[in-house]
Amino acid sequence: MSAHAHGHTVKRYRGLMDWLTTVDHKKIGILYMIAGLFFFLIGGLEAIIIRVQLMKPMNDVVAGDTFNELITMHGTTMIFLAAMPLLFALMNAVIPLQIGARDVAFPFLNSLGFWTFFFGGLLLNLSWFAGTVPDAGWTSYVPLAGPTFNSGHGVDYYVIGLQIAGIGTLLGGINFMATIINMRAPGLTFMRLPMFTWTIFITSALIVFAFPALTVGLVAIMFDRLFHANFFEVANGGSGVLWEHIFWVFGHPEVYILILPAFGIISEVVSTFSRKRLFGYSSMVFATVLIAFLGFMVWAHHMFTTGLGPVANGLFSIATMLIAVPTGVKIFNWLFTLWGGSIRFTTANLFGIGFIPTFVMGGVTGVMLASAPADYQYHDTYFVVAHFHYVIVGGLIFGIFAGLHYWWPKMFGRMLNETIGKITFWTFFIGFHMTFFVQHFLGLLGMPRRVYTYLEGQGFDNMNFISTIGAFLMGVGTIAFLLNIFITWAKPRNAAADAWEDGRSLEWTIPSPPPEYNFQQVPLVRGYDAWWKEKMEGNTAMTPAEPIGSIHMPSPSILPLIMSLGLFIAGFGFMYDRLIVAGAGLVITLGCMVIRSLVDDHGYHIEPEDQEKGVKA
Amino acid sequence: MSAHDHAVDGQLPHEPEKATLQARNNILGFWLFLGAETVLFGTLFAAFLALRHNIGDGPSANELFKLPMVFAATMILLTSSLTSVFAVQALHLHKKKAMVGWLIVTILLGLSFLGLEIYEFFEYVHEGHKFTTSAFSSSFYTLVGFHGAHVAFGVVWISLVIGQVLKKGLTVVTAPKVYISAIYWHFIDVVWVFIFTVVYLMGKVG
Amino acid sequence: MSSNHDHAATGNVTKRHKVEGPKKHIVGFVLSLALTIIAFAAVAAGEINTTFTYIILVGMAVVQVFIQMAFWMHMKDRGHLFPIIGIISGAFVVFTMVIMAVYWVWW
Repeated sequence: MSAHAHGHTVKRYRGLMDWLTTVDHKKIGILYMIAGLFFFLIGGLEAIIIRVQLMKPMNDVVAGDTFNELITMHGTTMIFLAAMPLLFALMNAVIPLQIGARDVAFPFLNSLGFWTFFFGGLLLNLSWFAGTVPDAGWTSYVPLAGPTFNSGHGVDYYVIGLQIAGIGTLLGGINFMATIINMRAPGLTFMRLPMFTWTIFITSALIVFAFPALTVGLVAIMFDRLFHANFFEVANGGSGVLWEHIFWVFGHPEVYILILPAFGIISEVVSTFSRKRLFGYSSMVFATVLIAFLGFMVWAHHMFTTGLGPVANGLFSIATMLIAVPTGVKIFNWLFTLWGGSIRFTTANLFGIGFIPTFVMGGVTGVMLASAPADYQYHDTYFVVAHFHYVIVGGLIFGIFAGLHYWWPKMFGRMLNETIGKITFWTFFIGFHMTFFVQHFLGLLGMPRRVYTYLEGQGFDNMNFISTIGAFLMGVGTIAFLLNIFITWAKPRNAAADAWEDGRSLEWTIPSPPPEYNFQQVPLVRGYDAWWKEKMEGNTAMTPAEPIGSIHMPSPSILPLIMSLGLFIAGFGFMYDRLIVAGAGLVITLGCMVIRSLVDDHGYHIEPEDQEKGVKA
Repeated sequence: MSAHDHAVDGQLPHEPEKATLQARNNILGFWLFLGAETVLFGTLFAAFLALRHNIGDGPSANELFKLPMVFAATMILLTSSLTSVFAVQALHLHKKKAMVGWLIVTILLGLSFLGLEIYEFFEYVHEGHKFTTSAFSSSFYTLVGFHGAHVAFGVVWISLVIGQVLKKGLTVVTAPKVYISAIYWHFIDVVWVFIFTVVYLMGKVG
Repeated sequence: MSSNHDHAATGNVTKRHKVEGPKKHIVGFVLSLALTIIAFAAVAAGEINTTFTYIILVGMAVVQVFIQMAFWMHMKDRGHLFPIIGIISGAFVVFTMVIMAVYWVWW
């Protein structure tokens, strides 16, 4: 390849503009992480207020309306604006490195995905300042969320915020699927992919096939609310159950979108810190695919009590219980990976090991709920709240903490402090079980969810108090994690390439943090656990698959930010019935698309002499 | 691979749309997007199927739909799918003029389809089948309207692609754009097959 | 990158490719046309029983879609494994949803 044929000079930005225009997956990963942590704190604050309100009977810290707004925003924020972006942060930071690629398949779309998510989340949370907050629950069931019973703008913020953020998620899903299919290093066949890459591949597929259903649901409810359509207006022939179907056709796969990456992270962490090959790799892959497949056939288990009839309830009940089989395969694989390994109890591994029993508990209550007749008892009680927090916090958030501690040196070149890390783990772990374990029993005693207070003398008082103390302890854990970040920030950037010394996959073969082109020479992969295999054979570096040469890079662009801003403006226009504003916003977005199509992006090249200087990300 | 970015007309490979890694990424990514679009339209179809008998005070599907008009629209879109595949064939033979010609025919057919659909919607509104009339009407206009919006988007997109081919020539950068927009156009036609079957013909049957 | 391999393959195609004729596309068009006309005729005739008409309609539509995807969207060409997986997965999700909608309305 002749470098001179590409004389295009590309403006390189510095400082803030660099971050606003970046298309580098590592920087976009960091942006996702910052935004995700920000929304995690907001959602956490909402959770603390909810718990304070429920600390004692007949408490009046917040009014019932505010409580509805808090639970709605807590759920929506945590799922869409905290958990998913934090997963996208790890995906962006790690996947291209694990497959030996220089970037994702569509760097521009990657940036667009981040900004649409960010502006969607911003729009949703601006509702607090507008004074009309979504209050129909994160599932936004109609007719409660319909125009008749919810005439304010609250639910509009939910609908439009999620619609915009959903575009970003869908783009991310397509991007990572294409990346993993097309951009793998030579020799890295599908059955040699690290487990985290596999789970992200499957998660991305779930995003691609589940999010469009949400898009349609949100469009329908938006048409009902803004343009007087009748999808869910029973008086004109609409159906409230239709919303439940559409929402859960998306919503159940969404649960697996969240948990599968956590499975991947735990697989990497447990295997690395046991210094053992992951037990039953191919069964792990098969289990992941099977969970994804079954995940699309179980949505109605959220709707047993709507009266689908015994046949539908029975089928969905059985399908749901089937999912316990591949999940059980995974649990045993992790246990056998740990078995006989020389285990290192780093913070990442503590979260990994803490994940296993916690997630098993969440899974077991899941099977209990899957039994349709029993579900009539559990439905809408704190038992359900306990169940899904065990799988989402005890599963996903533990996984994210494990992943952040594990890959932090790769992302930032600094190791997180292990002592503070262990304080984070123990406070968060104990706090979590204190908060949610007792909620199982509250549910069995009959305490309904989504109700802002309770009378004394029903046996709820002590357990609610314990639960609230636990929530505060989780808050302490989170603050410890933030302190860890700030304290480590002041330390020198001195993490080694193979920061944990036991790294197994390709990301540990390149400097921490990696240069912006990741791999100076794309490596040749000779087996599963590519880097571990080389180390075991006494090699100190991967065999390169190409000579040193000029590296092509995509050019930075401000267009993704402007396109997302256009959607943000259009969203407000639709909400407040200013169609001119809405049109203007859409024109901004479509105009940017036209510019992007017409102006060829030639990118730029990094020459070998500049590569030696080590351009840092 | 990127060395081919600037290949000029004479040196194009047989399938210029797949010559670069970026182009192959784009084609694959677009197929995945079509997978997502399948679910999007599928959800709209499911909603329509669930609500199609709930006509409220409005006219029923049987009273409303006129088969000759639907048949004409179907023929137009089917033919446009054929002309767009001819364009891709011309692309493989590196015949720029023929390719642009077939693309223009495709656009014209797309525009006449849109014209027919807008006329049809006006007729329906005139007969009391408004967007807000019933659950049937809302889901009908949303499903068929989404498809119409896709046709309109395709017309604008293919026009832009034609402009680029005329300005920059047939290169390994412009060729994948022609190929992808043609795939998109076929997909629109495939969706229409289900729309005329499920919405119109089944509506006529009852 | 796996692309190196593909790239070499593309190079070979240049030498040994056969010029494709418009024939197969016209065949696809005629088949689609025929299936469309059968579907419309079945409804226009209006004398067949409803369930049977539904079966004919859905059958014609599914066959036509297969024909169009194979002939016009190049899905029968090599290198289309992931597009096929993608569309089939999407179709599977749609299938479960449509079954749900039909089941729910009819029973």
